[in-house]
Amino acid sequence: MSDKEKKKAPIRYSPLDGLFKGRQGVLLGLFALFALFLAIFPLLPFASGFWLNTLTLILLLAAMAIGWNFIGGYTGYAAFGNVAFFGIGAYGTGLSMIRLGLGFFPSLMIGAVAAMVFAILIGLPILRLKGHYFAIATVAIATAMGEIADSWTSFTGGAAGITLPFFSPIEWSGQFFYYMAFLLAMGGLLLTWFILNRKMGYSWVAIREDEDAANMMGINTTWAKVMAFALSALMAGLAGGIYAYWKTFVLAEEVFKIEYTLQMILAAVLGGTGTIFGPFIGAFIYYILITLLVFFLPVGQLHATILGVIIILVMVFTPKGLMDFLSGKKKLSVNALLENIRTYRV
Amino acid sequence: MEREVILETQNATKHFGGLAAVEKVNMKIYKGEILGLIGPNGAGKTTFVNIITGMLPITAGKVYFKGQDITGWPAYKVGRLGIARTFQIVKPFRGMTVRENVAVGAMFGHGGHKRSPREALEHVDEIIEFVGMAHLRDKHADQLTLPYLKRLELAKALAMDPELLFLDEVMAGLNTKEIESAMELVRRINERGITILVIEHVMKAIVGVTQRVFVLNFGQELAQGTPHEVLNNPEVIQAYLGEKFVERFFRQQKAA
Ligand SMILES: Nc1ncnc2c1ncn2[C@@H]1O[C@H](COP(=O)(O)OP(=O)(O)OP(=O)(O)O)[C@@H](O)[C@H]1O
Ligand SMILES: [Mg+2]
Repeated sequence: MSDKEKKKAPIRYSPLDGLFKGRQGVLLGLFALFALFLAIFPLLPFASGFWLNTLTLILLLAAMAIGWNFIGGYTGYAAFGNVAFFGIGAYGTGLSMIRLGLGFFPSLMIGAVAAMVFAILIGLPILRLKGHYFAIATVAIATAMGEIADSWTSFTGGAAGITLPFFSPIEWSGQFFYYMAFLLAMGGLLLTWFILNRKMGYSWVAIREDEDAANMMGINTTWAKVMAFALSALMAGLAGGIYAYWKTFVLAEEVFKIEYTLQMILAAVLGGTGTIFGPFIGAFIYYILITLLVFFLPVGQLHATILGVIIILVMVFTPKGLMDFLSGKKKLSVNALLENIRTYRV
Repeated sequence: MEREVILETQNATKHFGGLAAVEKVNMKIYKGEILGLIGPNGAGKTTFVNIITGMLPITAGKVYFKGQDITGWPAYKVGRLGIARTFQIVKPFRGMTVRENVAVGAMFGHGGHKRSPREALEHVDEIIEFVGMAHLRDKHADQLTLPYLKRLELAKALAMDPELLFLDEVMAGLNTKEIESAMELVRRINERGITILVIEHVMKAIVGVTQRVFVLNFGQELAQGTPHEVLNNPEVIQAYLGEKFVERFFRQQKAA
C-alpha cells in the first residue's frame, strides 16, 4: 500500500525541474533532433566551409557558456573573466605543441589542466569576495593575464604570437575542428546533467540561494565554489586549446579579449542561466542576434560596449533568459517583462 | 548525579570593532535538556550562536562540544559534527522545492555522508510530515508564508540529524495558535533525544518549553535558573525586561 503511494508521487528534482513534462518534454525532443542534425551536419551536401566554420564558432561559444553557467548560473558568482581560462588553454596547448613538440591531444590536456589549476589558485582567494567585488577581481585578473602574455616575449612570443602546425590531413581540417567543438559542447551538457544529480549540484544551487545557510548545513562552500570555477575553467580551457590549433595562431590580444567573456555570459543569459540547455541554445540565439544587429545597425563591428548594453537589457527584462518564455513558464509580453523587473528588483 | 554536558563555552567573546556583542560568556548545555536563552534586543543572543556555530569568527574564549574543542571551526564542520541551527532571519533556498531544501540538510549534515541525493530526497518525507508541511512538499520555497518558512528552517535543521539544535526565534511573527503548535513541535523534537537551545522573546513559550533559562544582557550573563526563578529575579525584571514588558508578561500569564 505505502509502496504504491510512493510510486504515485515521483520525486521532483527542481534543478531538472519540469524537464520531462509538458512542453519541456517537447523541447527535449526538439533538442535531441537538433543535436542529431548537428552530429550529421558535416555529411550533408550543403555543409560548405562557411557553415562548418560558423557552427564551429557557435559550438565553441556554447561550450564556454555551459562552463560559465557552472560558476555564474548555478553557483551564482558573477565571473567576468573566464576569457583568462580560454587564453591559458590556447597558450598551454600552443606552447606544448611547439616548445615540447607534443601532439595536439596531450597538449590540449596540458592547456586544460593549466586553466583549471589557475582557476583553483585564483579561486581560493577571490571566491571569498561577494557580488561586484568578485566580478571586478575576475575582470582585473583576466586583463592582467592578457598583459602578461603580451609582454612575456621570451615565453609566449609576445606581440608576434606563436604559430602552430597545421592539422593534417588538411582537407579534413574543417570537419575535425567542427567535431571537436561539437563533442566539447555535448560533453559540457552531459557534465552539467551529471553534476546536477550529484551532491555537488545541490551545493552549487544552495550556495547561490543562500551561502550562509549552505555553509551551516554542512556544505564545504569553499570547495564547492572552487570546483565550479575550476570546471568552468576546464570548459573554457578546452575551447581555447581547440581554437588555437584551429586558427594555428595564438596572440594575446586575440585570445584574452574581454569580448569573449561577454559573449559567453550573454549566451548563458539569453538562453537562461542555471538551466542545462540554456547556455547551449543561447549561443545560437546570440549568434543570430549579433548577425542581425551587424546587418541592420551601422556599427560595422560589435564592441564590448554594445555587448555590455545587451547584457544589461537582457538581465533587466528577462533575468531568467528566453528559456523562461520558450518553455512556456511565461508568456512573452510587455507585462511579463515589466513583472520580471519588479520580481528581481533590478 | 552529574549531568552530561553537551556544549560548553568558556569566556566566549565577540567584539565588533569597539562593540562587545558577547563578553566572557560561560554557558553549559546539558544533554537532553531544553535551555532558554533570553535577553533584550541586541543583547547578543544571535551573535552568541554565530560564534559557536562558526558563522562568525570568535574573538576570544573556547567552545567545547562533547568535550571536543571546536573553537574556530568552520560552520560546515560544526554542522557535520552534529550541531544544527535555524536562522532568525529565515534563509530558505528559494529556487528549490521544500523537499529539496530539507534534503540538503539530509545530504550534508551529521548523517549526510551515508546518503546519496536520491536517498536524502526520500529520507526527508518523514521530517516534512513531522513539521506539518506534507502538503507543501513540492512547492518552491519562495511561495511559502512566514509561518511555513519558519517551519522549513526547523525541518532543514532537523534533517541534519543534529544532537544539539539552536532555535533562533522560530516563533517570532507567529500568532497565538501557531505559537502553541510550534511549542508542541519543540517538545516533540526534544523527545527525539535532541538537546535544544531556544532563543525566544515570547515569554509564554520560554516558560512553556524550557527547563532552564540563561539571560544575556549587553553581551554578558545576567542570570541563570529555572524559568520562574529568572523571570521573578528583580535584576532581570528591572535591568532587562523593562516595565512595559513585565506588565505585558503578567497580563499574558493571567490570561493563560
Ligand atoms: N555582523 C555584525 N556586525 C556588527 N555588529 C553586529 C553584527 N551582528 C550583530 N551586531 C551587533 O551586535 C549586537 C548583538 O546583536 P545580536 O543580533 O546578537 O542581538 P540579539 O540578542 O540576537 O538581538 P535580537 O533579539 O534583536 O535578535 C547588536 O548591537 C548588533 O547591532
Ligand atoms: Mg537575534
